[in-house]
Amino acid sequence: MSEIVLENVSFYHGKDTPYEIKALKNINLTIPSGKITGLIGHTGSGKSTLVQMFNGLLTPAEGRVLINGEDIWKEPKKIRNVRFRVGLVMQYPEYQLFEETIYKDIAFGPRNMRISEDEIDERVIQAAEFVGLERELLDKSPFDLSGGQKRRAAIAGIIAMRPEILVLDEPAAGLDPRGRDSIFANITEYQKKSGSTVVIVSHSMEDMAKLCDNLVVMAAGEILMSGDRATVFSEPDKLTAVGLDVPQITQLMNLLAKRGVPLAKGVYTVEQAYEFIKNNLR
Amino acid sequence: MNPFIKVSGLSYQYDDVEESNNKAPILNNVSLEINEGEFVAVLGHNGSGKSTFAKLLNMILIPTEGEILINGKNICDPDMTDDDVLELRKNIGMVFQNPDNQLVATIVEDDVAFGPENLGIAPDEIRKRVDDALRDVGMSEYAHHEPHRLSGGQKQRVAIAGIMAMMPRCIIFDESTAMLDPMGRKEVMNSIVRLNREKNITVIMITHYMEEAAMADRIVVIDDGRIILDGTPFDVFEEEELLKSCGLNVPQSTALVHLLQNDGLNIDGKCVGLEECADAIAALILKEV
Repeated sequence: MSEIVLENVSFYHGKDTPYEIKALKNINLTIPSGKITGLIGHTGSGKSTLVQMFNGLLTPAEGRVLINGEDIWKEPKKIRNVRFRVGLVMQYPEYQLFEETIYKDIAFGPRNMRISEDEIDERVIQAAEFVGLERELLDKSPFDLSGGQKRRAAIAGIIAMRPEILVLDEPAAGLDPRGRDSIFANITEYQKKSGSTVVIVSHSMEDMAKLCDNLVVMAAGEILMSGDRATVFSEPDKLTAVGLDVPQITQLMNLLAKRGVPLAKGVYTVEQAYEFIKNNLR
Repeated sequence: MNPFIKVSGLSYQYDDVEESNNKAPILNNVSLEINEGEFVAVLGHNGSGKSTFAKLLNMILIPTEGEILINGKNICDPDMTDDDVLELRKNIGMVFQNPDNQLVATIVEDDVAFGPENLGIAPDEIRKRVDDALRDVGMSEYAHHEPHRLSGGQKQRVAIAGIMAMMPRCIIFDESTAMLDPMGRKEVMNSIVRLNREKNITVIMITHYMEEAAMADRIVVIDDGRIILDGTPFDVFEEEELLKSCGLNVPQSTALVHLLQNDGLNIDGKCVGLEECADAIAALILKEV
């Protein structure tokens, strides 16, 4: 069980310069344990800054970051341990692959944790399996893999550290529909099997609606809303005002309501919309 | 009328292929015609050859086989001088995925002026082109801002204005909305549609978002280096199974319509867009009630 709590967290870019920007403004937030939380917000809303708070890549200017009730900055010299517990997959992580083979790249994280070679091997094989990379790819150079495969390898490198909390910043950006679906299926499967806490940042409302138990909406460095899908997606006006939207299928349901069809509440996926319409035809 | 772009028997293979790599050509005997003023979306899974195709049209790459005629001129002619190449490249502009890689200056209007300055356009004319281009993408009020302080959608619109100021007849968008939030995507899509409808600019748009492709006049689907579908959005999205088998999909609204049709429900009209689908489905429900 691993819960992240932020208490009054603020952060500034360019602090004490004429260009100072308050990127995070007194954030109070709980990321629930053992669930998939979706983080959405317009570009520049502070999502990436926020996720870098979770594993101590950035230090709050004010406030505290707690994991299971413990302040991660209590002993700043031990912050490295927090980075093993909270795995962060950054945007376009395939650009960070650097080893000669995919195997060595996935092994890099666990090796830094100073665990035995046998365990490293076991973790690499298992992580590769989790993200759907075939065994024979492990001995190849990252240059020999497609973009989607490289993305998987980079995610496997984080999973191999077996973090309690897995944070992914735009894991499906730039992938085709099948690539998106399969990466998200892998993440969901990983979450179910490991029981870990997962945070996903994405611009796709459709994907977030399908995947997430819990949603957090950021706008201009603040938390605008948080809660389950119904809480967040029942306020389309609030979302469009900050550059976001409801899933396309929910937009369609709202358009139907304008044409005199009873309003479909709680429809966020194509399957739900189908059920709703079938019920209205009887 | 001759087509604006005529591609025949086009193949391309990267020549640095080593033994370990796949030797199959990236593009394999592709032929197609695009008329002036058309809005064509190009779909295909990662690695299908879409971006290679775009780079061939803009002469960033040279075909292994086949030829490309732009406005009747063969752009693959080995006897072309550098001046000829430059002249032909002016016809086709390109907007990439990440606007940060395409913006060069520290002030928005300087950035938009960069292209025409390099073409040796007179200063008065540049002034006019920059103002027009920024107006066309709805960014006039940001002319004196710093590009790095803009939102993703705003940056991408500045990048489009920079291409517009060179007055190309065709613009290729290579996943230009992939990094943007929903609002940014909408802003950029609106600009693209306007350029096409109002300025008659030929648009070739590569995208992974099916609902964006639905806004084009025509969709071309590339799979493993070949064109497998070419038609109106409605006709292409009718092939849901084929699209899924090559890693693609249909818009959510179309997926819903197909589910309902599979149940034998009669949905009228060739609906593709959200509004059209809403009309058709509402008619169905309200008729029954």
